[in-house]
Amino acid sequence: MESAAYDGAVAEPQLTAEQARAALDEAGMRAAQVHRNDRQLCWMLLLVAAAYLGAGVVMSLSPREGRSFAGPAVVVMLAAAIVAAVVIGLRIRAYGRASMIMYFVSIIAFNLWNSAIVSASIATRFWASGQPSYHFGLSVMVAIIPLLIGALLIGRRR
Amino acid sequence: MRHPRHDLDDLLGHPVRFSIVALLAAAERAEFGFVRDHVEVSDSVLSKQMSALEEAGYVKVHKGYVENRPRTWLSLTKQGRQKFARHLAALREIAEGNGAPELAS
Repeated sequence: MESAAYDGAVAEPQLTAEQARAALDEAGMRAAQVHRNDRQLCWMLLLVAAAYLGAGVVMSLSPREGRSFAGPAVVVMLAAAIVAAVVIGLRIRAYGRASMIMYFVSIIAFNLWNSAIVSASIATRFWASGQPSYHFGLSVMVAIIPLLIGALLIGRRR
Repeated sequence: MRHPRHDLDDLLGHPVRFSIVALLAAAERAEFGFVRDHVEVSDSVLSKQMSALEEAGYVKVHKGYVENRPRTWLSLTKQGRQKFARHLAALREIAEGNGAPELAS
């Protein structure tokens, strides 16, 4: 009987606290690997912010009179940003649910906030024919705030 | 008091399967190659372990195309997430020393 009890104890080895801690550490490490990969979403948000900011800078520097380079430059810049964002998007190999939610919330918040900024800029005549061009740039700087917050939140995840 | 080891999942006792499930637990979806590279196993080893996990209903395999290339995406099922959460809770209890045999003084 003693032998049978001994055999049973050997057949069911117990996990030590040390081994359990090691397994928990590994689970944390695996989660961190996914979160690091999520940063591609952060780069996509920053890319959209940079393109929009670039468009604002071009419009701020563009002369109001005569031949303007602003239109084609803005179109090229935004098209390049869309292509780059698609390329980054296709390279994403894993994504967490929380990061994906933060990404889409940032994009939706940017669209709503940007619409509000544009409407307010027109309504208050901040964007009017008599106003200086750099007003476009100032509005754009405020409009990209949701994108920057989203990128920061996704980028800071561990 | 019931020993927490009874809540450990036998399927997740295998180190490679534990690594796969731990990685997928943090992701909504992960590409086959991403899991292979991070868990550091060959395609065949990952396929074999994935079959075991899929058969047990822990993992779902999604096949699709990106830029005309076939891609396989993996995700944990609801059952897989529940089993992993229970396994982790048991590990936490063991790590905290709960269920350790009491020594006679």
